[in-house]
Amino acid sequence: MSKVFSLALGILAAIGGFVDIGDLVFNTAAGATFGYQLMWVIPIGVVGIIVYSEMSGRVAAVSGKAVFDAVRERTGFTVGLSALLASEVVNLLTLAAEIGGVAIALQLLSGLPYRLLLVLAVAGLAVVIWTIKLDWIERLFGYGGLCLVVFAVAAVKLEPDWGKVGNGFIPHIAQNNTLLYLYFVIGLLGAAMTPYEVYFYSSGGIEDRWSAKDIGLNRANAFVGYGLGGFLSLALMIVGGAVFLRHGINPEHLGTTALGAEEPLGKIGLLLALVGILFAVGGASIDTVFSGAYNVAQFFGWEWGRYRNPSGAPRFALSWLVLFVLALAIVMTGVDPVMLTEYAVIFSAVALPLTYIPILLVANDPEYMGRFTNGRLANTLGVVYLVVIMIIATTAIPLMILTNVGQN
Amino acid sequence: MLALLAAVVLLAGCNGGTVDRHALTNDAATIDSINCEGWLLARAVARGRTTSYYAREQAEELHLQAANFADALGRRATAQGLQRRVRAKARDAEQLAGRLQRLHDHPTDRLVARVLARQLKRAGNCS
Repeated sequence: MSKVFSLALGILAAIGGFVDIGDLVFNTAAGATFGYQLMWVIPIGVVGIIVYSEMSGRVAAVSGKAVFDAVRERTGFTVGLSALLASEVVNLLTLAAEIGGVAIALQLLSGLPYRLLLVLAVAGLAVVIWTIKLDWIERLFGYGGLCLVVFAVAAVKLEPDWGKVGNGFIPHIAQNNTLLYLYFVIGLLGAAMTPYEVYFYSSGGIEDRWSAKDIGLNRANAFVGYGLGGFLSLALMIVGGAVFLRHGINPEHLGTTALGAEEPLGKIGLLLALVGILFAVGGASIDTVFSGAYNVAQFFGWEWGRYRNPSGAPRFALSWLVLFVLALAIVMTGVDPVMLTEYAVIFSAVALPLTYIPILLVANDPEYMGRFTNGRLANTLGVVYLVVIMIIATTAIPLMILTNVGQN
Repeated sequence: MLALLAAVVLLAGCNGGTVDRHALTNDAATIDSINCEGWLLARAVARGRTTSYYAREQAEELHLQAANFADALGRRATAQGLQRRVRAKARDAEQLAGRLQRLHDHPTDRLVARVLARQLKRAGNCS
């Protein structure tokens, strides 16, 4: 019974923790620009992150290797170092954007100055990491992020044309504004399959001391958690279409997303949306900063782990502190977090193969995996998604330039 | 990676040159979008459906965006034959910035918000 309860808690936390600033920005903007036409991209992205998270979780459970252990071992030092640098740049951009998102949400709730809130946000997150046990951090931010369910309620209350919503699940290419449409396809896939989620997921499996007998738990977490998290992404896109497209609004600020919940639900909808955004991006900040520290520590073979005291893994602790300081320095320059998010998502799309190819290789290696190597379905999906990832990686930057970062 | 990032930021972010027909159309659409978002915000204030902090801060964000447009469209070089239209759009953006500043200054005044909502809706042709 307690296992079922623990699974339910984990899933609830995963729902609230799935959506980050990239999902908030891209899903709402996609709905505001193309209505429900891009709904089909979300399930594709969610299945992709499920496939590779399950694989990386299984690798962690069976071999005890997290992603960057595998990267280093399978690709060698030089290629591995390139992968590490690329992932750290993307992680840092993402972290800076998430911290900016936390400060914006706090500003909209409190009216205090943005730069002061940036400093308070980073200090607060560092104190939370330093003092609160990881299980409770996950629960705190996961359950707080559940306030984003308000967007699902808003989506229903807005009474969209459900026939059009249904048609949106049929993959197609838009006849007008094709380049912008493709830019959003890439952005939505990049936001759903952000590499830091996989780094965090596999390292978390090792920290939770998963073994081969936890493979079922790994599958349940990946399938249900990400699946239901994707449901929030769909809700955001419906709200984008039903509120912003209808009124001719191109949402360029994080606060505008919350206005989408205010429209059908009033002040309570607005407040729940702001609190949900605060916890979702706050939780994502913690996931991202840990991912960055995990990668460095695993690559160089340092002691690492959130369950250890900072004195037990000093270089790991120093890594996440340095990442926080660097991210703070980036957002303190005044760069727009929403713009930063778009760059982070598109650049993470470019870095995707460096993360996912080693996972696929290790998951097929009997030396690591014994009898738990990929089955036919996992390999078919893994290869199909690898092709998708390669297409994303090669087209992301040209599309970003051609569409002027989605501004057309 | 860093060099690539810098190159993309430069290539994708260059929109400070001459205002041609395409740029004007895009800028006009963005100004309409700000008008319509301002309208939704002012309407929420008029109906007592928002918080004062949210109304004030969001109005400030939109005000800054509109003021930047007013400044840029008022000064940037224009393609031949477009100057009058570009400068007129700059004046629209300036007026929009003024209305949003007023909303920022009166985030709880329902009467002011009602008047502003009407003006913003008309200016942005919002539906």
